[in-house]
Amino acid sequence: MKTIVNHGLILGMICLVATGLLATVDKATRPRIEAQARLELENSLKDVLPEAVSFEPVTAPENNTLLYYKGLDAARALIGVAFTAQGKGYSSMIETMVGMKPDGTITAIKVLNQNETPGLGSQINEVKTDVTILDVFKGKKPDTARKPWFTEQFSQKEATGLEGVQSITGATISSGAVIDSVKQKSRQIKELLTHG
Amino acid sequence: MDNKLIIGSPPHVHTRETTARIMWMVTVSLVPAGIGAVVIFGLQALWLTLWSILAAVATEAVIQFLSKSKISIADGSAVLTGLLLAYNIPPNAPFWIPIAGSCFAIAIGKMVFGGLGQNIFNPALVGRAFLMASWPAAMTTFCAPLGKADAVTGATPLAALKEGKIVESLSYLDMLLGLRGGCIGEVCIIALLVGAVFLLIRGYISWHIPVSFIGSTALLMFIFGRQGAFTGDWLFHILNGGLLLGACFMATDYVTSPLTARGQIIFGIGCGVLTAVIRLWGGYPEGVSYAILMMNAATPLIDRYTRKRIYGT
Amino acid sequence: MAKTNNLFLEFWKGIIKENPTFVLALGLCPTLAVSISVANAVGMGVAATFVLLGSNIMIALLKNFIPDKVRIPCYIVVIATFVTIAELSMKAYSPALNRALGIYVPLIVVNCMVLGRAEAFASKNNVVASILDALGMGVGFTVALILISAIRELLGAGKIAGFVVTKNFAPAAMIAMPSGALLVIGLLLGYFNYLKEKN
Repeated sequence: MKTIVNHGLILGMICLVATGLLATVDKATRPRIEAQARLELENSLKDVLPEAVSFEPVTAPENNTLLYYKGLDAARALIGVAFTAQGKGYSSMIETMVGMKPDGTITAIKVLNQNETPGLGSQINEVKTDVTILDVFKGKKPDTARKPWFTEQFSQKEATGLEGVQSITGATISSGAVIDSVKQKSRQIKELLTHG
Repeated sequence: MDNKLIIGSPPHVHTRETTARIMWMVTVSLVPAGIGAVVIFGLQALWLTLWSILAAVATEAVIQFLSKSKISIADGSAVLTGLLLAYNIPPNAPFWIPIAGSCFAIAIGKMVFGGLGQNIFNPALVGRAFLMASWPAAMTTFCAPLGKADAVTGATPLAALKEGKIVESLSYLDMLLGLRGGCIGEVCIIALLVGAVFLLIRGYISWHIPVSFIGSTALLMFIFGRQGAFTGDWLFHILNGGLLLGACFMATDYVTSPLTARGQIIFGIGCGVLTAVIRLWGGYPEGVSYAILMMNAATPLIDRYTRKRIYGT
Repeated sequence: MAKTNNLFLEFWKGIIKENPTFVLALGLCPTLAVSISVANAVGMGVAATFVLLGSNIMIALLKNFIPDKVRIPCYIVVIATFVTIAELSMKAYSPALNRALGIYVPLIVVNCMVLGRAEAFASKNNVVASILDALGMGVGFTVALILISAIRELLGAGKIAGFVVTKNFAPAAMIAMPSGALLVIGLLLGYFNYLKEKN
């Protein structure tokens, strides 16, 4: 009996110290983690609505869940909205940030999260590059400004139709998940914009 | 008198059959299907087949040379693997596809297990699975037969069926002659039948695996028809895809199939059911190769439970 | 002199003779999962080395304090603490890497390499030896991960350290899939066993 209590106390002590340590680390890193998340959100919003100067979240009045972001220009006029769309891909939930003009044309989309098969489904977020490793040794700079060709196709398309967007060969499920989720979410957001 | 007493251990009665002879006979029996493919798709089918055989033989020779073991490329097993692999790729595949597939088939499918007789899986099908997983686009783009440009290009009849299209332009005679899109060796059904009958008559294969394999697939396709139960077009499913090639020439591989007749029937039914399940509900239009690979894995188990008991034990 | 030599051996054994991946075959789950690109491999290796170092130091310090009967829960608490620290700092300073490694960072807790070294080494040796053991094992793990991921990245994606090798190479996607990971690890294990037998 005594040893059980004793052992329990020692284990408890170790847990207590560990908890204290983790609380400290959490406190130290939390502001930075939040700043990183904010920065990432801002970056992806800027990527899909490059012309907007500031963004304003719009929430549902009944339960305060986030619906979309308004993109405003310098004169605070609405130039577009940005929202996230989610679709079930081949092996993961694919999350994309979509930028849309008020008339329903897509400005750009960006894949935020995906865990699709490398080399197949993951091509939804891969950049086609002509710069080989030999070129890099020769001093050529890799082209960092390039966007993934698959998501690039969405630009200037009508959001609810998305006609002419090509699927990736051998990765129809992943491509379809992105196309369908963007279409569906755009329809919802358009509804909200006209009626709400 | 020169009456020497010869003492040796049994068996005393030998036949002329050797592993090499069997391998070459199976190879010969596959030649008609190859000729058929060249007639249907043109010379590109021949070049791909030759590349595949060359790569398979070269891989085996190099590995045996490097591991300082006896070079056994003359036994025909590498030639057969290369030939079967080539028969499993589209006739318009780039030339490096059969080369990569054959190297993988021999190196990973056969030699790492210790060479002929030790491998668990049919090497040619291991190669095909590797190609399917690695270059799906090249492996699923099919050209139409020569002079039949109006046919559905880019898809086999089974693939068209999977996408919900109805294949009307194809008669049973076309399918029997092989005038359809498909892999090199699977299309010319009539030539495959000639080869299979030759093997059966000469006793190189027994009827158990082909009959139970094809029979169970046909039965299931008939039961789960598209217009309700017992309406399926079972003949279409026998004549399309790689069913005949797989059932007669690949599922019957000595090394990777069960030994006893009872085991072979279980094996054949397993292959047939899996093929039908993949064709009906799977992600791929065709499932023969995966069905055989899966049953290859079950072969040791089947052998264990169907082993004939030695009298007295 | 003999003493420093011994200590050096404690470090060196983790890299070759007792390499956690290729000889002890420990911690294969994260190895299979994250060895898709060299960048992932380095991140995972550094995180695992940090956890290994922290847990080995703590356990070597506490070895007389921790009763034998409850040692495994105690070790796990210590390891989990360091894993959480690693995860939080990765989130704060390298969110992209954290996303790439995903669930496999928290899963370092159950990486049997970490618990294995705590149980087999740190609980029986002093702090200095435990530090060297952790560093050696960590470096060995990282080197193994980099080797596997370099092969997989080259064959499966046609890239070296993120750069395309040549435009005309169609990579074998299977090598980048889980089956490719098992295949590459299996062949490398076989090769290292062959080398060991030859000696």
